[in-house]
Amino acid sequence: MADIAAPVPVVRASFVARHRRALLGCLAVVAFLAAWQAMFLVVPFNPLFITKPSLMLAALLDMLQTSELVDALLASGAPFCFGLAAAVVIGVALGIVMGWRTRVGYALDPLLTVFYASPLVALAPLVVVFFGVGLFAKTMIVFLLAVFPFIFNACAGTRAVDRLLIDVVRSLGGAERDLYVKVIVPSVLPYIVAAARIAVGRALIGVLVGEFFAASEGIGYAIARFGDLFALDRMFACILVIMVIAVALTEGIRWAERAAFPWRIGQ
Amino acid sequence: MSEIEALGSDIAAAAAPARSPWRRYEPTILGAGGIVLLLAVWEALPRLVTLSAGTKLFFTTPSHVVGTLWEMFATGSIWSPLGVSAGAFALGLGIAIVVALPLGVLLGRSATLSALLDPFITAFNATPRLVFLPLLLLWFGLGLWSKVMIVFIGALFPILINTYEGVRNADRVLINVVRAFGATEWGIARLVVVPNALPYIVVGLRLAIGRAVLGVVVAEFFGSEDGLGVVMVRAASRFQVDVVFAGLIVFAALSLLMTGLVKLLEDRLSRWRPQHVNAS
Repeated sequence: MADIAAPVPVVRASFVARHRRALLGCLAVVAFLAAWQAMFLVVPFNPLFITKPSLMLAALLDMLQTSELVDALLASGAPFCFGLAAAVVIGVALGIVMGWRTRVGYALDPLLTVFYASPLVALAPLVVVFFGVGLFAKTMIVFLLAVFPFIFNACAGTRAVDRLLIDVVRSLGGAERDLYVKVIVPSVLPYIVAAARIAVGRALIGVLVGEFFAASEGIGYAIARFGDLFALDRMFACILVIMVIAVALTEGIRWAERAAFPWRIGQ
Repeated sequence: MSEIEALGSDIAAAAAPARSPWRRYEPTILGAGGIVLLLAVWEALPRLVTLSAGTKLFFTTPSHVVGTLWEMFATGSIWSPLGVSAGAFALGLGIAIVVALPLGVLLGRSATLSALLDPFITAFNATPRLVFLPLLLLWFGLGLWSKVMIVFIGALFPILINTYEGVRNADRVLINVVRAFGATEWGIARLVVVPNALPYIVVGLRLAIGRAVLGVVVAEFFGSEDGLGVVMVRAASRFQVDVVFAGLIVFAALSLLMTGLVKLLEDRLSRWRPQHVNAS
């Protein structure tokens, strides 16, 4: 790679050097797409088996114009947001109680660990049997999958509150409010944001499981249906959209973590 | 205020040498108590409250679940689907380990290669692998291999990323010393990099097992003809809730068993370490 950077002027060379990782990454993605597109010049193209990037892009634009994609995303977004919101509220509250009250923590920790370790997706058929097909069942699945990271991280965060800092704030005459604003929240919040990063991934799984299983709308349903219809260009376009959303969510939270809690870098 | 003090005193009590047996066994007793209490309430619920006929259809009790589980083992009806699921699990996880370990070491040692592959790894790791299931069903059919592929994709990335992190954290001084004594890249990997990365790899392996079990379940739910997951879905559609829970217990037990084995492996492999390294 150094050979490429050598002949260009000094300023641009330093730009290349500074952004070497990102540039190489972009290069790899472009090369991958080009190779994928070019592959069918040699290999016979079978639209029932695979698609081309160009067809995928066309399908994506088509679905954007007919608002098909937006509708599907909105239908999936509602259970995702509701389930995640419920998971944050209940998970954080329960986790803080477990961290605060050591005995509650002792009592609930093994039970919740068993639940967390078991593949809860396996309960999806039951959730569908109990709650039917629709928004509520999907929200329940998302909630079930997303709540555990919040519980465990809020618990760990509460336990990690530095007793010494609390004593210091108190002996310097801090009010109860200062205790929360200056010590407890800054200590617990990074754990909760870290939990959100894990929970978002699990919530996405929850939405997809719910929609593969029993749904008549949503992005997961769209993927399953296009798969059944052998409409591979549309299916790939939907998969691409989910990939972009998943990366944006997890990397966005990671970025927010770095920006909001710079003192925790490297932990 | 009192809550904060209570927390502090309890932590102090936990850290101090146990004074009474109650103090020492309190976490265990309370933990077991929590589980027993939940099971007892669940068991007692249909006896205390009369459930409507519709709810009864969906309801089961722990004793029923255990009875069903026992029957499945006694009649041997569980072995064939369990074998199918375990085969897909083992094959997918095995291939993932074989691919991820060398690739992780390679990426950790080569900045260019890791920069080239980074976007793909980030994207595939963040995306729920379930989205690939319909595609994999088209490509590999309703058989063993679509399951193996889902397990493989799920298990690959935790091992790969953790191996990579572990390799990158290797001590540069040690690498330089070994290199100064004339070691090849293979020698560096064998003597410094891989032993150093082992705790990371084990953590990755633990994550991978969880994801692999999940992969088997999901793949069998949506596209398969055989396996424990298929048994569970069919049972759910016939309202045999106890069979669903029995399957869930078997999957959870497998997951815990495998994680325990990895823990044993970790202890064995880190015996030479002067102090315990905590990489999680």
